[in-house]
Amino acid sequence: MAEFNPKIVAFLCNWCSYAGADLAGVSRIQYPPSIRVVRVMCSGRINPAFILDAFKNGADGVLVAGCHPGDCHYIAGNYKAQRRVLLVQKLMEAFGLEPERLRLEWVSASEGDRFASVVKDMTAEIRKLGPNPIKMLEVED
Amino acid sequence: MTNKVGSVLVVGGGIAGIQASLDMADSGFRVYLLDESPGIGGVMAQLDKTFPTNDCSMCILAPKLVAAGRHPNIHLITNADITGIKGEAGNFDVSVRRRPRYVIREKCTGCGVCAEKCPVEAIDEFNQGLMNRNSIYVKYVQTVPLTFLIDRDKCIGCGTCQEVCRAKAVMYDDKEEDVVLNVGSVVLAPGFEGFDPRLKREYGYGRFTNVVSSTDFERILSASGPYGGMVLRPYDGEVPRRIAFVQCVGSRDSQVGNNYCSAACCMYGMKESIIAKEHAPGVQCTIFFMDIRSYGKDFELYYKRAQDEYNVQFIRSRVASIDEIPGSKNLKVKYVVNEQPKEEEFELVVLSIGMQPPKHAKELAKALDIKLNDNGFCYTKEFSPVETSKPGVFVCGAFEGPKDIPESVSQASGAATKATSIIASERWKLTTTKVYPPEIDVSKQEPRIGVFVCHCGINIGGVVKVPEVVEYAKKLPNVVYAEQNLYTCSQDTQEKIRETIQEHKLNRVIVASCTPRTHEPLFRETVREAGLNIYLFEMANIRDQCSWVHMHEPKEATAKAKDLVRSIVAKASLLNPLPKPVISVTHSGLVIGGGLSGMAAAQDLAEQGFEVDLVEKEKDLGGHLRHIYYTIGPEDPQEKLQSLIKQVSNNKMIHLHLNTKIDNVEGYVGNFKTTLNSNGLKSEVNSGTIIVATGATEYKPTEYFYGINKNVVTQRELEEMMVNGKLQAKTVAMIQCVGSRNESNPNCSRICCTQAIKNSLKIKELSPETEVYILYKDMRTYGFIEEAYREAVSKGVICIRYDDENKINLTQENDQLKLSIWEPTIGLSVPIEPDLLVLSAATVANTDNEETAKMLKVPLTKDGFFLEAHMKLRPVDFATEGVFLCGLAHSPKLIEESLAQASAAASRALTVLSKNALETEGAISNVNEDLCSGCKVCEPLCEYHAIEMKDVDGKKRAHVLEALCKGCGVCGSACPTGAISMLHFTDNQIIAQVRAALKEA
Amino acid sequence: MEFEPKIVGFLCNWCSYAGADLAGVSRIQYPPNIRIVRVMCSGRIDPDFILETLIHGADGVLVMGCHPGDCHYIEGNLHAERKAKMLRNLIAETGLEPERMHLEWVSASEGARFAQLVKEFTDRITKLGPSPISGENPNKVILENLLAAKRTAGDFRLRVIVGRERELVEDKNAYGEKVPQEKLDELLSEAIKTEYTRNRIYNMLEKESLSVRELSKRLDLSTQDVLTNIVVMRKKGMLGVERIEGTTPIYMSLEVR
Repeated sequence: MAEFNPKIVAFLCNWCSYAGADLAGVSRIQYPPSIRVVRVMCSGRINPAFILDAFKNGADGVLVAGCHPGDCHYIAGNYKAQRRVLLVQKLMEAFGLEPERLRLEWVSASEGDRFASVVKDMTAEIRKLGPNPIKMLEVED
Repeated sequence: MTNKVGSVLVVGGGIAGIQASLDMADSGFRVYLLDESPGIGGVMAQLDKTFPTNDCSMCILAPKLVAAGRHPNIHLITNADITGIKGEAGNFDVSVRRRPRYVIREKCTGCGVCAEKCPVEAIDEFNQGLMNRNSIYVKYVQTVPLTFLIDRDKCIGCGTCQEVCRAKAVMYDDKEEDVVLNVGSVVLAPGFEGFDPRLKREYGYGRFTNVVSSTDFERILSASGPYGGMVLRPYDGEVPRRIAFVQCVGSRDSQVGNNYCSAACCMYGMKESIIAKEHAPGVQCTIFFMDIRSYGKDFELYYKRAQDEYNVQFIRSRVASIDEIPGSKNLKVKYVVNEQPKEEEFELVVLSIGMQPPKHAKELAKALDIKLNDNGFCYTKEFSPVETSKPGVFVCGAFEGPKDIPESVSQASGAATKATSIIASERWKLTTTKVYPPEIDVSKQEPRIGVFVCHCGINIGGVVKVPEVVEYAKKLPNVVYAEQNLYTCSQDTQEKIRETIQEHKLNRVIVASCTPRTHEPLFRETVREAGLNIYLFEMANIRDQCSWVHMHEPKEATAKAKDLVRSIVAKASLLNPLPKPVISVTHSGLVIGGGLSGMAAAQDLAEQGFEVDLVEKEKDLGGHLRHIYYTIGPEDPQEKLQSLIKQVSNNKMIHLHLNTKIDNVEGYVGNFKTTLNSNGLKSEVNSGTIIVATGATEYKPTEYFYGINKNVVTQRELEEMMVNGKLQAKTVAMIQCVGSRNESNPNCSRICCTQAIKNSLKIKELSPETEVYILYKDMRTYGFIEEAYREAVSKGVICIRYDDENKINLTQENDQLKLSIWEPTIGLSVPIEPDLLVLSAATVANTDNEETAKMLKVPLTKDGFFLEAHMKLRPVDFATEGVFLCGLAHSPKLIEESLAQASAAASRALTVLSKNALETEGAISNVNEDLCSGCKVCEPLCEYHAIEMKDVDGKKRAHVLEALCKGCGVCGSACPTGAISMLHFTDNQIIAQVRAALKEA
Repeated sequence: MEFEPKIVGFLCNWCSYAGADLAGVSRIQYPPNIRIVRVMCSGRIDPDFILETLIHGADGVLVMGCHPGDCHYIEGNLHAERKAKMLRNLIAETGLEPERMHLEWVSASEGARFAQLVKEFTDRITKLGPSPISGENPNKVILENLLAAKRTAGDFRLRVIVGRERELVEDKNAYGEKVPQEKLDELLSEAIKTEYTRNRIYNMLEKESLSVRELSKRLDLSTQDVLTNIVVMRKKGMLGVERIEGTTPIYMSLEVR
């Protein structure tokens, strides 16, 4: 069987994490082509519903990345993201989806290296977990 | 009288120069921003983190770089020097020589293929020689302008870069160019030069590999530096377990000719040790210092954290010498404590190097005909801290004297006010305003999307099969047009995009290329020129986040690029045009507080042609300054105060409200409505901006028999005694840090050390035989004040240290004070019987700050001072737009600092007042009142107070104050009923994007 | 038994190969150790071929082309000369005797000269003895070094400098100036040294992830030298940090793009 190539939706805040992802590019740091980036202005914008919708639509993983605590462009949006991700992880546990499929990471604009290693790491972990079980069920939208 | 010119030349593109440029360009002047290096950003770009917030330096600097680079009224002139000046204030001709770059700025896309292929390697100065760059290079990847240049000394002219550059940007016959700039004023911000630590031979820099400078160490700490952010020692790449930081290298040192203190090194030394610990948790950091000068706002708390949380070890001693241990290449640091020679072994030593005048200060001074001070920095006066000796030429930042980033930024804004004040009549005369065609109404049209896929030379096309992506895009829903470009960002492609929009009646445009962070503004401009609303544009990032990071997987990268295009097409189909809300501006300012700062700020606004309401709660103007009779400088504060009061009182543009308090503040930027209360008489004042200059209070001591023994006074009382000829004491003792740096008030009051030195010098002047003792914790005479400290010591003032362990023992017998203190260097307790005991009382926050803060919806620090929007880069702004801060209300500070800050607050206010209307962000939060349940979940979540509850048909409904909303979307993602949508990032748009991304191709 | 060196000769078609033929036609005798590879021009001989030949155990490599000015392809032989110079520098770094590679000009009419040169070269190599990397017990260090040298010879940077050398030194560069030969030599030898060092580090790390100190020991380089090059190689994406052991980062090779 061919190796499983997970699809990960990555919500990146515009000011730190998206910039960090850009820096990975500028520095030509290689990472697996598993993520699909959705840019939002602030990690605090990310509604739990977006994350759940992504899983429902077959995402094997969801990455939420924002500014480091204290660095948020909008003062404290990232703290709000943190709370929400924890809640969604609880929810995932409740309906039997591995909470490891959802990750929250802080990546600053100067951490291109870190962004790449987060993606590498997460891709490897999701690969171990295997495909999103919901996808296998082929739930109709 | 010559004609005035509405433009300004800013010399130096560091953070100070950038801030001054942005302020002036935003308030209606054309700015030429000149840097001798090939890109702006200055020293701050080299830093890893910044104190006291430990913010990532590049993260907070980069947006400013981009803003300066893209500003229609800022013209960047890099790689250039000033050669001369003619004319007078208001109308100068400055000659400038631009050195050849060999790369055409308009054509270079900054893709970097040239550097990748360049066969010549050179030392990378930006990384302090710890890394290599090529002979064609950029200073650093975020630099502005992102235009490569050729290091002509290194280049062998092999021609490779020209061959590989698809944009045809390399031009080997580029020549030196002389230009003359006609400007009304000049702002100097050339920064500083780090002290060359090789000159302290005994510390071994340059001889011992594991001795590095603090600037080297910043690069070592940086994630984009040589070691990728790992803390390694340069000799063998091991993580050091013990790092020593040696302070005052090239400062406070007459041997090297620098008597002054460099003002920022204590803080950055602590910062570097904290960050080192964060990067390498096992490391032990030791700081060798003489005095810890953490005198800035909340800096003392940082010092405490360094000790308590990060376990940084502090050793009070000047390091004598450093030896390398053969074999291990570890370093033996030799120093003396209490007359005992000691030594300790470290694996890495960081030398905290001081600041020196910029390398070409003398040439610059000569070219511009300005005076330098004895230390070679720019000459200024206490009461005119941003003015040089030449009218019309102003100064800010470290060239004025060593200082940290927030001080530089304040001073930069301050210089901006002064520089534009003399040409205020020329506001908006040399700026460019673009006229756009009327917007096409797309509301009734089906989406017609055009997709432009970029090859970016070979940057994308070399990995991703661009033609395949184009063909794929053509088949996507709503896409009516798709094409490929070699460089989508080139000038000719913009023309092509405009034509295509018209020809194919496109109503949504997508560019699949690089990152929106740098290129969205350009493409938005293009679609706007073709009559489309800017929010009908989107980007797919298939370079920075695809081709560059999957270079060995062309198949997967192509598939990913298609996914990215598909998902952004899905979002674009749902895009709506958004209006940019426009709010009107009341062209007058309100200043709260009539002390030095308040008066100065009001005067600045009035001089720029705006009416000002100046509110003072007491019956007289002047505040603290009324009690200051002399300073360590030559100027007479009372004379200055009287002249300022006279100016303010006689200025018809300034409306004075004495004996008046603020009752209520309503509204938002551009439109504040403030209720004043003068002894019960209420009135309303409209203003576009508000400046808070409410000052601070002198602490009333409860310690050391103050109020009990008549021979115990405060510094302020001593000053009055001397002025009135009432000082008779033969022995005077001063105690520092009374009411500060203790448990109830952990912060340092910054000014009391200077006050004590000033008063002891005055005592020695009045009666040289009087004995003066200063009992201090750390002598915080930062910057050039250090020289006054030296003078005091040389005149016989005896300074003895005390601290929480070595306490002062004070008793009184029949009013005779007896004091003893352990003096470790002689190993004895020194008895002193002072006739007069002077307490250096803290400066504390006003008790009514809380009330004012609530009315203005602005925050306070823990100790009750006003808290600015960002400690580093927005020192006089509040997060609430249109409200600004200066003077002691911000934190304790000296006269020149208050004045610079007052002008800075005025400058920031002018960026609002100078406009007829403010265009605000269109991508903001929006409430559907039918869905809103009035639950109030959103209201406290908003950090900008942009959501208020409003009565709608008797029910509470959330309402967004458009002018205040910054568009983060935190409210939207919390709303339980889905009533709040974040325009341009709506739930539907994001979900469509996610779903399309997950669909199989 | 007397040592019989294995020698490979790379001969250009138009002059040297014809010269060799003439030696035959004229029945001029020379030692039988040489195995000839015909190429159209000596300029065609990639340094890579020569290193490959040496890696496979040749005791000597003799490169022959037309006399200067006689090249059938105008200047191919002059390029061959530049490459040979670079290669001598590079081989010297590896510990192999640089004399094992030799360049000579032989025209189509110089059958006798051809035979004479082959004889002289064979004698020299015989005296030098077998290549240290041939036979039962090849010298592993030199072999490793040669492998690194081979990678180095393929480096874009070196190829650009060598490829442009003549044009830059004898004609003019992009600025219309002549580059002094010393400046170019200096640049080239610096480039050879650093690229070669980087390739040695890279090859070593391909087998096993190592620390700076260990690399320095195994490659007989100073730790500082190793670290400086690792910094550049990380930036180029050739290396990464695998893990940190105590206070020691361990580096690994990454797939080169």
